[in-house]
Amino acid sequence: MKKRSFLVISGPNLNLLGTRKTSIYGEGSLEDIHRGLEQRAEELKVGVQCRQFNSEGAIIDCLQEAPGSFDGVIINAGALAHYSYALRSAIGAMLLPCVEVFISNVYAREEFRHKSVIAPVCVGVIGGFGKKSYLLALEALANLTEV
Amino acid sequence: MAKHIAVIHGPNLNLLGKREVGIYGGKSMEGINSDIEAEARKLNVTVEFYQSNGEGELVTFIQQCRGRADGILLNAGAYTHYSVALRDAISAAQVPTVEAHISNIYKREAFRHTSVIAPVCIGQICGFGPYSYILGLRALIEDRLDPWLP
Repeated sequence: MKKRSFLVISGPNLNLLGTRKTSIYGEGSLEDIHRGLEQRAEELKVGVQCRQFNSEGAIIDCLQEAPGSFDGVIINAGALAHYSYALRSAIGAMLLPCVEVFISNVYAREEFRHKSVIAPVCVGVIGGFGKKSYLLALEALANLTEV
Repeated sequence: MAKHIAVIHGPNLNLLGKREVGIYGGKSMEGINSDIEAEARKLNVTVEFYQSNGEGELVTFIQQCRGRADGILLNAGAYTHYSVALRDAISAAQVPTVEAHISNIYKREAFRHTSVIAPVCIGQICGFGPYSYILGLRALIEDRLDPWLP
């Protein structure tokens, strides 16, 4: 059987992890998250490719190219989660299972962060567990496509 | 000492496997509980289960978790969306709580898009069927999941 492979996309400002608002987003860098994901992917016997974009259009390009190369997507859209209908359409169009993740508990923060416009087109949402949110999402996808 | 987790199911979850299986799946609550128990054994933690249809009963049970449980895994069912009493109980209990849902509540009716308990929980997991509970348990207890811990 072909090894399943997942795409992990982090959106705007997540390249700054570990350098800004560490009380909310924690100390580790995005590279630390990517290393953690690669390690867990190996344990789960799946492939993982991690990308980060500040640009909304670049994320959409990447999502459009995902089918054929990947079996599922994990996305932390950052602030775009709350207003990017273009991202929502791209996720809906790619027909791959997508899991939305957040590092912080968005519901404990400003009201504009309480609504995600991409959540309805995702399989599910995992948020609030720090960088663990990404690892849990990988487990969720691996379990999802196993059955 | 092994961590102890209280797994709490709210209203109508006793009917799992019998109602709206298109949304909630065919697995019964007992089936889900035995899966959670198996995962807990693997993770070397103890679990207890509680289900009630009554808001007051859930409030009382959550209050009693204080100082007794190291974590709460809670699917509050429909109370999620309006029970401020449940929210206050979670705050008062001072036990780290994870909110879990079987379905993706954001794909459903607008009244299910708001969780009044989310702001007092550590985090939320929804949409993965019964596996949401397994992920919730791991989120609560497995430090190994966090490679950034010292």
